[in-house]
Amino acid sequence: MTDSDQGSERVDVDRQTDHGPADQELTGGQRRAERRVGVALAVAILAGVGLFVVYFAGGQTQIEGVLFAVAFGGLGVALGIWANHLLDAREVVEERHELTSGPAGRAAFEMALTEEVGPVIGRRSMLLKLLAGAGGALGLALLLPVLSLGPAPGDSLKTTPWRRGSRVVDEEGEPVQLNQVPLNGFLTVFPEGHTGAADAQTLLIHVRPGSLKLPPDLMAGVPDGTHVAYSKICTHAGCPVGLYRAESQSLICPCHQSQFDVSDGAKPFFGPAARPLPQLLLGVDDENVLVAQGDFTAPVGPAFWDRGR
Amino acid sequence: MMVERSLKYLDERLGTASLARKTLRKVFPDHWSFLLGEIALFALVVLIFTGTFLTFFYTPSVQEVVYNGPYAPLQGAEVSAAYNSVLRLSFEVRAGLLMRQTHHWAALVFVAAIVVHLCRIFFTGAFRRPREVNWIIGILLLFLALGEGFTGYSLPDDLLSGIGLRIFYAVTLAIPVIGTWVTYLLFGGEFPAPDIISRLFVFHIMLIPALLLALVGAHMAILVLQKHTQFPGHGRSERNVVGKRLWPEQTFKSVSLLLFTTAVLALLGGLAQINPVWQYGPFVAYNVSSPAQPDWYIGFLDGALRLGPPWDLTLWGFTISEVFWPAILFPGIAFGILTLWPWIERRFTKDRAEHHLLDRPRDTPVRTGIGAAGLMVFFIMFMEGGNDIFGVLLNVPVETVTRILQWSLLIAPILTFLVTYWICKSLSRTQLRPAHITAGVRLTRTHDGGYETVPLEPAEAEEKLEPEPAEP
Repeated sequence: MTDSDQGSERVDVDRQTDHGPADQELTGGQRRAERRVGVALAVAILAGVGLFVVYFAGGQTQIEGVLFAVAFGGLGVALGIWANHLLDAREVVEERHELTSGPAGRAAFEMALTEEVGPVIGRRSMLLKLLAGAGGALGLALLLPVLSLGPAPGDSLKTTPWRRGSRVVDEEGEPVQLNQVPLNGFLTVFPEGHTGAADAQTLLIHVRPGSLKLPPDLMAGVPDGTHVAYSKICTHAGCPVGLYRAESQSLICPCHQSQFDVSDGAKPFFGPAARPLPQLLLGVDDENVLVAQGDFTAPVGPAFWDRGR
Repeated sequence: MMVERSLKYLDERLGTASLARKTLRKVFPDHWSFLLGEIALFALVVLIFTGTFLTFFYTPSVQEVVYNGPYAPLQGAEVSAAYNSVLRLSFEVRAGLLMRQTHHWAALVFVAAIVVHLCRIFFTGAFRRPREVNWIIGILLLFLALGEGFTGYSLPDDLLSGIGLRIFYAVTLAIPVIGTWVTYLLFGGEFPAPDIISRLFVFHIMLIPALLLALVGAHMAILVLQKHTQFPGHGRSERNVVGKRLWPEQTFKSVSLLLFTTAVLALLGGLAQINPVWQYGPFVAYNVSSPAQPDWYIGFLDGALRLGPPWDLTLWGFTISEVFWPAILFPGIAFGILTLWPWIERRFTKDRAEHHLLDRPRDTPVRTGIGAAGLMVFFIMFMEGGNDIFGVLLNVPVETVTRILQWSLLIAPILTFLVTYWICKSLSRTQLRPAHITAGVRLTRTHDGGYETVPLEPAEAEEKLEPEPAEP
């Protein structure tokens, strides 16, 4: 034994008390447990070998999953039985130690903290203020790059690519003519040149003649009195409003089941949405192709703070 | 000998021997419910290993590519590079699908284990002084786990997760005053801005895991420092810990639990299909799937959005969205109460003492009742998250399901509190104790014809509880 060994040799009492003596002789139960541990470990070995075979044979997800489970499970069973039956499970009592350092300890820490620094700080309050100012200015300046993470919102949430005269096209970019959509049918459309644009997605619905209850100024944007167009973006949480019930002429958002009355300006009549789907006023050009009269009647999609400004 | 030499080497440089010896002899109380947090930890271990594997193949980019892999229905389709890499991982990388599915299952189990562990801490009063700090860390870990789950769920850039992201965008837009700016800085512009997938990736594999691991470390260090709580019982007091030592008993048990957790997750990952993104299709801004449900732990939020009232407010020209009430205000209040619970409870009980012995839930009927009512609120919202599925299953209109659950939200939590309170009170009155194994006695006949009972030694009693093989 070297000197350093003796130095670290501190057999301190751990404030622990053991209960129950250690039983050296194997009982019948322990012998059975030993056998079971052996079997479980053997099964784990086999599953491990099996994994090699399956992997190099080309791999198979289900078999791999089962073999991994058997390998891990076998090891787990083995250790579990080992812990429960083969370890001499003694209950041990350990005393809790005091968590707090006590008033004296805290006072000593305070001393240590202020001994050197305290008197210096006390005399130089001006420097201290400047130090805080420098830290604050630098801290704020360090936050500046966060602003690079995104563009300023500006009016971008209130506008879409729809313009006066934008021709209406389908998902493939093909112009959509009056009566191309069959009665009671609907189509997702975009402004020409912006096919697939997320904020411009619009539902063109061919409703039954005479079924729309719109004021005259909005009715003026419904060619033939049957081709009405609403924003496809739910005003609740922004999902595409993808379901249309032709018999009741209502739109349903599959995400949160808001329902909109197509006959009555797409006003919500059930579910969490609070605002109607904005309408897109349409007209027809001389080639019988549908065209927009301008942007939507209101900002599309979910509400935001300065939406009404 | 090698071991002896290396131990000596380490000890001479780091002084590890006495510290390690003390650690090995540390005592942990033994109760099944103390293992719930361990399950969360072990699921995290599985998540780190499977997740590392996944990062070697995943491409965090929305660049359009043409899919030309072996999955026939999508061949020739324009998809994002992210979606393409997930398909490749699922169909072409050997053991890739197993890793992906195991990772997803592990995430579900991770959050579930955290929630159940949190319930155990709450209902037994383990958050009381001196453990308030670890309560806060635990709540932060829950939030981080939810964030980690949601960001990971969104990475494949499939249609279903794209819709989830779109809803999250609507929620951040609904933050009063700063919502628009926060949303644009987070998403990099109007939805669907191309930067979002790569940003989610950085959150998912770097920022959140780093915080998560640091806090898990702190959580466990504080646990070791403060020593574990224990249930009251024979020989147990506020001043001691009665249980098994870290080595060997607890180590064997914990490693066994780690192995079992991994086995179950591997079995699920191999056999139970999860998040088949090739069936959902790539994200397209104007497409939607129905029915659409998120992973279970986001279910309550989706349900809250479904049963929220259609009330938006306009104040001086500014808009407060109808999304604000269910998706920001409700979780804000609910998780606020949860976070501050140790202090809220102290206000009423005036109990400032240190507690190392746990409460039995029946002995604190008010706390247990409030906890049960809170769980009921989340449960109703979770159910509402599947209102369309229930509508189809029960053959009732989805409107009916929503109305019933809206009324339940007003009534059921109060009933739950009252019933729980009453059950606790009557259990407390009857003085029934949880069933546990008694040590057993030996019955012997005395010479004068009477009987004598002799208690068995614990070791002997354990032996007797096992059926003996018939002696030949």
